[in-house]
Amino acid sequence: MTFKAWIKTITFYEILIGMKATMSHMLHYRPVTEQYPHEKRTLPDNYRGMLALLRYDDGTEKCVGCDLCEAACPSRVIRVVSAEVPGEPTKRFSKEYYMDMTRCLFCGLCVDACPVDALGMTREFEWSVYDKRQLHLNKEQLLAIGDRSFPVREKQLELQHPNVAFFNVAFKHLPQKPG
Amino acid sequence: MTELSLRLAVTFAQILAEMSIVMITVATLTYFERKVLGWMQDRMGPMEVGPYGLLQPVADGIKLFFKEDIVPAGANKAMFALAPMLTMVVAMIGFAVIPFGPNITLDIYGITIKPFVVADINIGVLYILAIASIGAYGIILGGWASNSKYSLLGGLRAAAQVISYELNVGLALVGVLMLAGTLSLVQITEAQSGGFWHWFIWGGRPDGFFPIHTQIFAFVVFIISAVAETNRIPFDLPEAESELVAGFFTEYSGMRFAFFVSAEYANMTLVSCVASALFLGGWNAPYPGTILEYIGLEQLAWVEHIVWFAAKVYFFLFLFIWIRATLPRLRYDQLMRFGWKVMLPIALANIIITSITLYFFPR
Repeated sequence: MTFKAWIKTITFYEILIGMKATMSHMLHYRPVTEQYPHEKRTLPDNYRGMLALLRYDDGTEKCVGCDLCEAACPSRVIRVVSAEVPGEPTKRFSKEYYMDMTRCLFCGLCVDACPVDALGMTREFEWSVYDKRQLHLNKEQLLAIGDRSFPVREKQLELQHPNVAFFNVAFKHLPQKPG
Repeated sequence: MTELSLRLAVTFAQILAEMSIVMITVATLTYFERKVLGWMQDRMGPMEVGPYGLLQPVADGIKLFFKEDIVPAGANKAMFALAPMLTMVVAMIGFAVIPFGPNITLDIYGITIKPFVVADINIGVLYILAIASIGAYGIILGGWASNSKYSLLGGLRAAAQVISYELNVGLALVGVLMLAGTLSLVQITEAQSGGFWHWFIWGGRPDGFFPIHTQIFAFVVFIISAVAETNRIPFDLPEAESELVAGFFTEYSGMRFAFFVSAEYANMTLVSCVASALFLGGWNAPYPGTILEYIGLEQLAWVEHIVWFAAKVYFFLFLFIWIRATLPRLRYDQLMRFGWKVMLPIALANIIITSITLYFFPR
């Protein structure tokens, strides 16, 4: 042990350095805490929250009962009971639609799989309940979540990303579909 | 007979006042520790109960009071109940000899009382050391009676650690006792009056400034050993959370748990009081006399004395929290080696050097 190291040992040099660090954190007090129920953090734009069923502008459900979401779901959250629209054999809808949100891992694969954009992920996340059964949602509840999360259903072009608008005009040079 | 009953009444009033001061300090300290730890770790600490979480100790007390009192199966019930009481009582009665304020006497109906010390006994330091040793019994009993391997390991560690570090505490105080020539804490504090160069940490002679009798090494040994004796980080091996769940009070809940925790904080306060009384001049200001005396308020000088004592005690308490926020826990062999191979020789050498300087330069 050199003399310098010995001096450092008997004067607790390293410990004093550490204590200086903690003291400087206390003097320059900038907490990283967010007081959660009182102040909420900003969610990212692509936040995947509670799932919801969506409607068209006229109020009809988008879901056609194709079961693709059920097939895509890795956790087997979704159960769809499909049925024909009475009197219209070519049209189908989901007679019953259940989601067991206790199992959902919010991967968004069902939303990707849906061919008619009938599923959406809202920005709701405060879904803690005392009774687990309250997380077993049926079709009416899912539609209600969709109604309160997406009250405006028509396209809002001013909110659309410029790149999307670019793609919309970029294909104008292609021959249009007749009719 | 009336004199005896009056004396008893005065003493009980003093004990009540002293205990309430200590309990208020403990409650403050639980809040203060969580806050300061939070600030040092870029957190906020308790913020929910009351403004800035100020009512958190009250909420904690109420919560612990109404919690279920669980006695584990196979526990020795008598010992299990005795352990927290022993720890708490011992932590409380140590304060009896601590002088909170100046050594003034009051005459009330023919009896003489000292308002700022419950019992000015002539073996004060010895009394504190003895009481602190009994406190270790509470920890060992609590660990043993719980019928849990974690508690037992914590209790065993506490036994070895507290006993080996208490030796260093005792030896570190010997130099001070030689300088003061008394064991009474009141007289030791009085021997340090008249400016910070008379404090035993500086160790100037009564007529000089040069620190010929300096006790700074004893002071450092005492502080480190006191941290170890109160089972605080970085010497908190008896209750090492990451190894032994909660150590000796793993199986305790409710008020018994609260007793152990309050006893830990009370012990912290006690060693802070002892350190400030023995090394930092107790109630004495770092300048001769008091400011209130100079401006003509002699009868209010005790206020300034008490403020200085409280400031020193809270400085030590803050130091303990600061150390807790900074240092990780020692390994067990490091702890024992540090105690026996580093602290003990320093304390012994301090005794020898103090004796030699005291022989050639008597006070």
